[in-house]
Amino acid sequence: MAVAEQSQPVVTPSTKQKQIGQSYWSLVWWKFKRNRVAVVGGIILVAFYVSFVFIPEFFSPYQLEHTSDYAEAGPTPIHFVDQAGKFHLRPFVYGMEQTIDFVTRSRTYVEDTTRMYPIQFFGRGDPYKLFGFIPLDIHLYGVDQKSDPQAIVLLMGSDALGRDWFTRIMYGGRLSLMIGLIGQVMTIFFGTTLGVISGFYGGAVDQLIQRTTEFLNAFPQIPLFMALAAAIPTFWSPLAVYFILTIILSFVGWGGLARQVRGLILSLREREYALAAKSAGASDSRIMFRHLLPGTMSHVVVIATLAIPGMILAETALSWLGLGLRPPLTSWGVLLFDAATVRAIHNTPWELWTVPFIIVTILAYNMLGDGLRDALDPYGTR
Amino acid sequence: MSEPLIEVKDLRVEFDVRAGIVKAVDGLTLTIQRGKTLGVIGESGCGKSMTARAILNMIPKPGKITQGKIVYHRRLQNNGQSQLDDIIELTELDPDGKVIREIRGGEIGMIFQEPMSSLTPVYTAGAHINEAVALHHLTPIRKVGDQIAEQVLAHHKLTKEEAREIAVEMLRRVGIPKPSQRVDSYPHQLSGGQRQRVMIAIALSCEPAMLIADEPTTALDVSIEAQILDIMRELQESVNMAIMFITHNLGVIASMADEVVVMYMGKAVEQAKVIDLFKNAKHPYTQALLKSIPHLGKKKTGARLASISGMVPDPFDLPTGCVFHPRCPMFMPGKCDKIAPSWTKVDEDHYVACLLYEEV
Repeated sequence: MAVAEQSQPVVTPSTKQKQIGQSYWSLVWWKFKRNRVAVVGGIILVAFYVSFVFIPEFFSPYQLEHTSDYAEAGPTPIHFVDQAGKFHLRPFVYGMEQTIDFVTRSRTYVEDTTRMYPIQFFGRGDPYKLFGFIPLDIHLYGVDQKSDPQAIVLLMGSDALGRDWFTRIMYGGRLSLMIGLIGQVMTIFFGTTLGVISGFYGGAVDQLIQRTTEFLNAFPQIPLFMALAAAIPTFWSPLAVYFILTIILSFVGWGGLARQVRGLILSLREREYALAAKSAGASDSRIMFRHLLPGTMSHVVVIATLAIPGMILAETALSWLGLGLRPPLTSWGVLLFDAATVRAIHNTPWELWTVPFIIVTILAYNMLGDGLRDALDPYGTR
Repeated sequence: MSEPLIEVKDLRVEFDVRAGIVKAVDGLTLTIQRGKTLGVIGESGCGKSMTARAILNMIPKPGKITQGKIVYHRRLQNNGQSQLDDIIELTELDPDGKVIREIRGGEIGMIFQEPMSSLTPVYTAGAHINEAVALHHLTPIRKVGDQIAEQVLAHHKLTKEEAREIAVEMLRRVGIPKPSQRVDSYPHQLSGGQRQRVMIAIALSCEPAMLIADEPTTALDVSIEAQILDIMRELQESVNMAIMFITHNLGVIASMADEVVVMYMGKAVEQAKVIDLFKNAKHPYTQALLKSIPHLGKKKTGARLASISGMVPDPFDLPTGCVFHPRCPMFMPGKCDKIAPSWTKVDEDHYVACLLYEEV
């Protein structure tokens, strides 16, 4: 108690001092925090990136390669109350019996209420390597497979090879979310660099860069993607295809950003601090990238955030068309490709679970981007 | 004992715009002495700022130096001991080259009219000063106070603490209160006067041989203006720096300058010691300017304040002969509109370009 009282007057001046030295970004953060919708979007995205990109091994009950006998099984019902009407605090699933209708050739699964498998949280399952080097076998949830290999929990059903669809969605999210982020980082790099150079020097350089962006923008996007994607040799490894696809997506995307950055630089370069930097002996590149570029950063962040969904969708669309990523890689587009037949929609409608994940991601990005735009605009009234 | 630092000789700066060619500076000749203050005065658009920019070889596009030269008597310090003299023609240098970039900031500093927008908003005051120091590696050695100088000599690269110390010391020298806190302030957290002090601190951090002050106090109120001028005078004495002081404020010139050049339409019309100019102005334009200042404490005569008749001529269609003749009260028909006046010595250190003082 005495300690708390003593520390009180010490804490107050230091926090006050911090407020005096507040930078632009801390003000932005303060404003951003008050925008509920944007914060929710941000939290969703952080959750998605952590669980899908960094540690899907832990959050998914199985490994990606884990196949089972339960092909095209629907989502496993999760129970709290057993046949005898007894309530269990720990949810459980029943074992499943497969029957095949030999007339229609369709599989149906019936719950076998004699076999009960409680769902384990943080239980042991498929071994994996966390971040590629920490060997672990703990999963967020799952059923005990060691005692009964027949036990399985399929939160969102399974595919034709009996793989857990939810696991596939998580691993698919890894590639789809990463392609958006990596592609956008490359877009920012190309777009801002070329935009700054274009705006700062003007003249012939400007003409060249701007006409190039116009040329790229004049192309219909999907055919351009198709042409570029079709140029990828089929014998390349899926990983190489992935990187090439990222480069293609950012190659098409940098033009708009370069144009916006150029416009901002055109006005910023007339500011007196550009002249002051020059008169202090700064070189052109120093003026461009140290003095002028930071002034465009708030716009770039917003534009980039709002453009990431476009990249994720582009990957999805290309893969769905069969031009982007291909199995054995798993991305949301690849999963959609699997689900894109009438037969799949009829027999395995749970494969459409991919769609809400895509929609939520896109919405979250838009919510976040909108909030950032409001927070970064110091003259905004909202 | 005067020694030239910068000699501008017959300088002409032209802007080739669509409507024609504008001569922003037309045949200007002036000399800036080491350690002295040269005031440059004239109305807006008379080429004052362009002259300053030309000295740093920073003429904005589409402007060009088409004639004349600017000679810079460079004095290099060799191990802080002997002085090596070097004569550089600034107009000959590559405007983006290494030499001119060393001179800019390192040997000729510049401060601007608008302290509000002269600092990059994303960097602190300290970061600005450190940038200037870092751009001219050698400079901190001879610069800031002795105790720091020793530390600096020992290292090639400044540590963060040393850089910060230099910045704090510079801010203290320009009279910013609580410099150790202000060093972390962003431009928007500083007042206009403080920003201009930071600008001066940046310019002085490399201890330049000359400071170009382009209307440094125009955007400030009079009390802050007086403080800034005091600081500039003090610092000039302590580091023996020349100042080219550009203004349109005759009062400021009277208190700052040793020598004054009066400019009109890109030309120098009169140059004199400051006392001579105010006591004994020769050119009708200078005389008219001086008459247009209201005098405090003077008995009311009921007369209106004098103004210069007419308008500033169209830069695309300059008058023939003497450019001032359409507005000149001493206009001599047949002479002033025919013959361009030449630079005439009328007294010791007193030059004028007017046909009244020429035998034609």
